[in-house]
This record gives sequence, C-alpha cells and structure tokens, in this order.
Amino acid sequence: MSEVDHLLSKKVADRYLKREVLGEGTYGVVYKAIDTKTGQTVAIKKIRLGKQKEGVNFTALREIKLLKELKDPNIIELIDAFPHKGNLHLVFEFMETDLEAVIRDRNIVLSPADIKSYLQMTLKGLAFCHKKWVLHRDMKPNNLLIGSRGQLKLADFGLARIFGSPDRRFTHQVFARWYRAPELLFGAKAYGPAVDVWAAACIFAELLLRRPFLQGNSDIDQLGKIFAAFGTPKPSQWPDMQYLPDYVEYQYVTGQPFRQLFPMASDDALDLLSKMFMYDPKARISAQQALEHRYFSSGPPPTEPALLPRPPPKRDSLNSKVSDLNQWEGPTVLSPPRKSRRVMPHREGIDGNTYQVDKVDEHADEIKPADGERSEHVPMSLDFSVFGAQPPSRPTINSVDRSHLKRKLDLDHYCFIRGTQVLAESSNISPHSRQSPNFFLKEVEVTPFYDREGKCTLLLGKLLAYNKKLCKYFDTNPG
Amino acid sequence: MASNFWTSSHYKQLLDQEEVDVVQQLDKEKGITLEDFKLIKMHMANYIGRLAQNVKVRQRVVATAVAYMRRVYTKKSMTEYDPRILAPTCLYLASKAEESTVQARLLVFYTRKLYVDEKYRYEIKDILEMEMRILEALNYYLVVFHPYRALSQLLPDAGMTDATQICWGLVNDTYKMDLILIHPPHFIALACIYVASVLKDKENTAWFEELRVDMNVVKNIAMEILDFYDSQKMITDERTNAAMNKLPFRP
Repeated sequence: MSEVDHLLSKKVADRYLKREVLGEGTYGVVYKAIDTKTGQTVAIKKIRLGKQKEGVNFTALREIKLLKELKDPNIIELIDAFPHKGNLHLVFEFMETDLEAVIRDRNIVLSPADIKSYLQMTLKGLAFCHKKWVLHRDMKPNNLLIGSRGQLKLADFGLARIFGSPDRRFTHQVFARWYRAPELLFGAKAYGPAVDVWAAACIFAELLLRRPFLQGNSDIDQLGKIFAAFGTPKPSQWPDMQYLPDYVEYQYVTGQPFRQLFPMASDDALDLLSKMFMYDPKARISAQQALEHRYFSSGPPPTEPALLPRPPPKRDSLNSKVSDLNQWEGPTVLSPPRKSRRVMPHREGIDGNTYQVDKVDEHADEIKPADGERSEHVPMSLDFSVFGAQPPSRPTINSVDRSHLKRKLDLDHYCFIRGTQVLAESSNISPHSRQSPNFFLKEVEVTPFYDREGKCTLLLGKLLAYNKKLCKYFDTNPG
Repeated sequence: MASNFWTSSHYKQLLDQEEVDVVQQLDKEKGITLEDFKLIKMHMANYIGRLAQNVKVRQRVVATAVAYMRRVYTKKSMTEYDPRILAPTCLYLASKAEESTVQARLLVFYTRKLYVDEKYRYEIKDILEMEMRILEALNYYLVVFHPYRALSQLLPDAGMTDATQICWGLVNDTYKMDLILIHPPHFIALACIYVASVLKDKENTAWFEELRVDMNVVKNIAMEILDFYDSQKMITDERTNAAMNKLPFRP
C-alpha cells in the first residue's frame, strides 16, 4: 500500500491506480491504470528524462503541445499530464488494439464495408489534423489505435509538426519507410499534408491486400517498389520531381493497372486509391477531398465502428513497439524496426547541439558589449521619450536605437541564413518574395483573416487578389 | 504560428486586464504592489530577451518564453516561482516548444556573464526542476500565437513595408506589457501598425476601415502602447531593484 500512499501524497497522481505494464513506448514505459475520478481505464506513459540531462523529452513535449490543441473523436485523447517522482506522466484514453493487429489477424475477414469504415476514420482524423495545420508524419497501421467500441484514433504524435509556416524546412527522415511518400524518398525538405495522404493510401492498400503494400528494404529500393507498381513518373506527371534534392533517374518501367494490383477492390475504391497515390504532391487528393469522394457515398455504407471485426484485446495495446523489434528477425515482417525510423528527433537534437556549440565560439566576443549595457534594462527598440515632451508628437528614432533594431532584425535573419531546420519564422518579412513555387500552401496564414464564424474578412479578399495561387487554395478549401 | 487561432487554447485562455493585474496573496504579503508586479515582469521580459540574444534564438522563441512567464504569474506567486529561475526556464521550454532547442548549460553560462548578482545564479538542475513546475502551471498548453506573422502580411497590404523595422520593434516591445495575454495577436499587430502610421505621418484611415475590425480595440491597444513608452521614462534601475528585493531569495 506504500505505493498508493505515495500516490495519494501527490496532487494529481492520486487520481490513478496503477495496473500492469503494457509495453515500452517511444520514450518510456506505458502502463495501464484506473482513473478513480471517472472509473475509466487509461494508459499512462511515463516519460524518461533524457540522458543528456536535457529535461522533458523533446519528442514528448511535441506530442503534449499538439495533443493539447487537437481534440477530435478520431485522435487519441490526452486526458491529463502530471509530474511524479521527477518524471512526467501522460495519461491517454486506453485503447484495446491497433489496426496492425487487425490486418495481421488471419481469423478476421474484412468486408469492403469494414475497410471503408477503417479508412474513413483514418481520413477523418487526418483531415482534422490538417485543418489544424498539423502534419502527423508517422502514419502507419500500428499508430492507428482502436478503442473498445471500435473507434479508430490517430496516435503517436511524437513526429508531428505544425506546418503552414513560410519556407519551413523539415527533415525527410519521417515515417516508416513503407509509408513514405516519393517526395520524401527524393529528399524533399519542404512538404505538406500530401505526405500523410500517401501514407493513408498505403494503409488503404494494406487493408485491401492484408499485407504491407510496398515493402522496400532501403530508400532506393522503396522508390523502385513504388515505380514497379505504378510506373516510373514522367516529368509531365510530376514536373517538380527532378528538382528534389536526392533525385536520381530511374530506369523507365511501366506500371501495372490498379485493377491488377488490387483485384478485389471496387471501381470507386480504385479511383480513390489512384488519387491518393498521385505522384505529384500538388495533384494528390487532400484528406478532406478524399472523405468527399464517391467511394464513401456509394454502397456498401461503412460498417458501424462498434460492429467492426477486431482481434481479442491484446495486452500491449497502446504501444506495441517491443514486438516490432522482434518481428525484424521473424518471417512475418510487418514493419521495419522502430529504431531506424526514429532518426528525426535525435538527429535534430544533434544538429541543434552542434549549432549551439559553434555559436559559443563564434560569439564569445559578443558577450562583452552586452556586459557594457545597462544591466537592468534592455534599451527600448524605439525611443518614445519625446512623446509628450514635444507638443506635436513626432518622435524620431535615434541612431542607437536604429542599430539596436537592426541588430535584432539581423538576429532573426541569422537563423534563416544558417539554414537550420527550424527557420526564423519571424524573419519572413515579405512572405511573397520568398515563396517557393512548389509549396505555396505552406505560405498561407489563415488565422488572422478569419472572423469567428470562419468567414473571410474583406482583407482576405484583398490578399487573394495578390496571389492567384492563394486564391485557388481558398477556393478549394473553404474553412 | 499556423493552426486556427479561434479554435486554439490560446484564444480560450485570453484574459481581461483586471484578471491579469492580480498580485498573488503570497506576494502581497511580501509587500509587492501591482506596480512592483508589472515592473518585475517587464524586467524578466528584458532578461529573457538579453539571454536570447546571447544564445541566438529567433524572436519568436523570446515571444513565446515571455508569454509563458506572464501566463504563469496569472496563476502562481513570484514568491513560490522565483522569477530569476523562471525566466530562463521559460526560454528553455519555449526553445523546445518552438523547435529550436537551447541547451540548459548555455543558459547557465550566459546568465553568469550577464548578471554578477548571486541571486541570479542557478544550476542546470534548477532549470529542469522549474521546467516541470512551469509545465504544470501552464496546464501543458504550449502553443502561443504571436503578432509577427500577421504583421508581415498586413504591412505590404497597408503599403507600409518601409515601416517594417518600426513595427517590428513595436511588436517586440509589446512583450514588455501583458498585451499577449489579453488581445488576439493580430489586433496587437494592427495596433503597432496604427502607432507606426501616426509616427510616420501616414494617412491609413481608409485601409483600417476596410479591415472591418473593431477599431476601438485597436486604438485602445495603441494607446496602451504609447502610455507604456511614456511611463518608461519613470522607470529606473533603483525602482526595479527595490521591487526585486522584496522577493525572497531562493524560497
């Protein structure tokens, strides 16, 4: 009972009664618990503190940050978070199983209506993320968790990023390889929601075939597998392809007809699948458009989630990462090993560190002038001291302030020029001038120009006139 | 920040001025007045800014860090959450949340360079401990919207790209106030453009009218900004130090 006593002494933790360990998560142990406040079964992720003494795990922080903003029936709910014995604990709703277990279970027969239901829930969750300008970036069957009433929810936002920032550069080392879109495999750094749609297409295919569709064993091989299935893309199909950083020319092969790849699928299913598997990310259907596709309105209607076939509840449901690693040796490989896919947060950490380290040297000299400044007040960016003193209030900016301002602005640009992964967003003074033609979508800030009802204000109309492309986007995505 | 502001936690957490201007009971007992409270917060915003210049993070991280600091003090006392540790930790947390991590040891290093006063001394473990407490105080809401994006889109629209630097500086200075806790960021951006228009003697009335925003709000924010610059003359190191000295050292 000492455990319980200890829990009771904590302000938040007295809510939860710890049960068995469910498995090893991305950054810590996951265990089952009962929420005494609601009687609900929950899964608690205990986040290990980083080895480098760098506080709350960066990946965990990302997940917290995004999940606090994302509340949707098709997205895993972060119920609570609390510190306990120096570790941060995240409380999630308890999920019985995941889509990988469903696909893998040979005793389960998935009817076309079942597949439609699973895909619909996946796309709904995805469309919600994209509407909130969040890329999931790690879509795969075992991150799609299934609750006790059959509802499917997107989970594991450890790789997710907010997009929509101008000229943001991202790492392309995201997704399990088999779910990686061709633009990522060619090293694209500026990409959009289309990468998640490609992954959803792979999951759709996997539901139809009951095995991972494109099982490459290297990035090159992955592209080979993609091209063998759909044919090598012609420049007319995907004009921007040859400008991607890691673009290499592949020998031309003709693809197979979709009908042959997926003999059991309906015509509507094939049509949707072909639109989700479009090579050109700009031409690829969006998650929202996919939901409006006639596949979902034509018969048979999607199965009620509660009636969907599911495997018997498994023990390590929230995160089945441990089993992943074992599968690598076994004959039924369903996912590449976890570690190779988790390059990104770590890599970013290293990049960040080296960046920091060389900065210390570079700017060691600059510490001095800072010392010379008044210790208690940073100078104002603008000198308004003459306000009021001089009757016609027309204050001027003196040269000291000007140079200070300039320094501040240079500081912002500095990050930009360095080309770090995380760019100086605030440095983007003229968003139109830096627009890269391929990714205009990312340049758009919707927020300030929408009123509360989500209708555009006049200002937006004016902005639209500036940019035809922008206009096109808003036409297709109202809201 | 992308994502929709009107559905964000930031929008839901906006407060009224009266709610922000509450000195916690514990601090009151230490003799901290509302003026002291504001002074200390401004001092800490400056501290965060100076630290950020040394560790080289973008302005956005600074803005987020200051917003975190101000949010914490709407709920927690300075007596319990020593601002001298809270401020650098906010920068630390914001750098992670804004995806440009700064190492804790660098913050410790530069703080020593900036402040000789031993009250400002802290170790890495203090930051890590405070990080957890801040997360709790913020109720784990980490996404903060800022006026910068709106500003960079509004300026060309208003035909005022020549006023970019002034507006930029104005927006930076708004973080010395509590505006980010009270108003939607694009209103702050508009107020800064408004001030800059007056400053540059540019006739912008028609443009503002066309925006269909509540100009009273914009004008009120603009007035607050001007009042702030005005009151700035009265603030001396002595006053700030006197306020800081009311805080207990290392509770």
